[in-house]
Amino acid sequence: MPPSARHFEALGTTCSLFVAGAPGEHLERGEAWVRALQARLTRFEPDSELSRFNASAGAWIPVSEELEDLLREALRAWELSGGLVNVAVLSAMHGIGYRRPLREGPSGSIAVATPLPALPDVLEVTPGRARLRPEAGLDLGGLAKGWMADRLARRLGDNALANLGGDLAAQGAGPAGDGWPVEFGGHTVLLRDQGAATSSTRKRAWELGGERVHHLIDPRSGAPACGDLGEVSVVAPTALEAEVLAKTALLLGSGEAPAYLDGKAAAWWLLP
Amino acid sequence: MPAFVLKAGATLLTLLAAAASAAYVSSHVKNGAAPLHPAVLTAQVHAADVEAVTSTYAS
Repeated sequence: MPPSARHFEALGTTCSLFVAGAPGEHLERGEAWVRALQARLTRFEPDSELSRFNASAGAWIPVSEELEDLLREALRAWELSGGLVNVAVLSAMHGIGYRRPLREGPSGSIAVATPLPALPDVLEVTPGRARLRPEAGLDLGGLAKGWMADRLARRLGDNALANLGGDLAAQGAGPAGDGWPVEFGGHTVLLRDQGAATSSTRKRAWELGGERVHHLIDPRSGAPACGDLGEVSVVAPTALEAEVLAKTALLLGSGEAPAYLDGKAAAWWLLP
Repeated sequence: MPAFVLKAGATLLTLLAAAASAAYVSSHVKNGAAPLHPAVLTAQVHAADVEAVTSTYAS
């Protein structure tokens, strides 16, 4: 019996949810959960929890359980990536004109890029509270998608898959009992309690002032990444880990990426 | 054999070789987006000959 499926637009992309052997109404609740969290974690709405945190001007402020967990995961991602996955990227995003959803187009002009600060130097998290250095701002972007996919797959049940714009988490044995069949690098692979993600410089790219820019910022320069990889896909124990590994590998480039991924990723695919 | 026949034959051979080469390279254009290597699948991932329900992709 094929799994129940639900497809919808959220998080600036297409989302797909699947459950096997369970009622489809789980999926409707899953979509509502995605939309509710999107409203809290977007940087484009001034009243979102993330925007209020970004505007907190160095003060300790209470944070929800979800934002606290995500901030802790962001700090872990910074460690796992050797500083290459850094969510303190808001000023760099503004510097390339990415101030609003891309469907509304870029705005402003390109600013001079500067290296990003180390995340632990600007972000502190304690139980129930967090503090951000005044000049710093966060964009949780792909990290939030991976984190949400992991949580959502578990919320949907013992046998479910959540795909939030390519960041996907597969929970349980899948529709036929041997894993969830997912297209990956020209193969169909069977994922069971695993995640996958793709990082790319090809999407969310635009022209500003005659220059082609994209959203994937290299923290070492504060400018869009310009390495020899254009896209990296990874399978890892969770969608969040896959997201971090894919972005790090893309920034490392084809020379260092395979050694970095070996032992951390279950599968990877590198494209120029 | 007259010299002009040899010259014409050599010219014709050269032109044919150039045309064949042009045809070959035009039909074997490098795909700039081709993967650097095939996907690497470790023992933690199994491939199967079944239809996928979804995929990972850039968004």
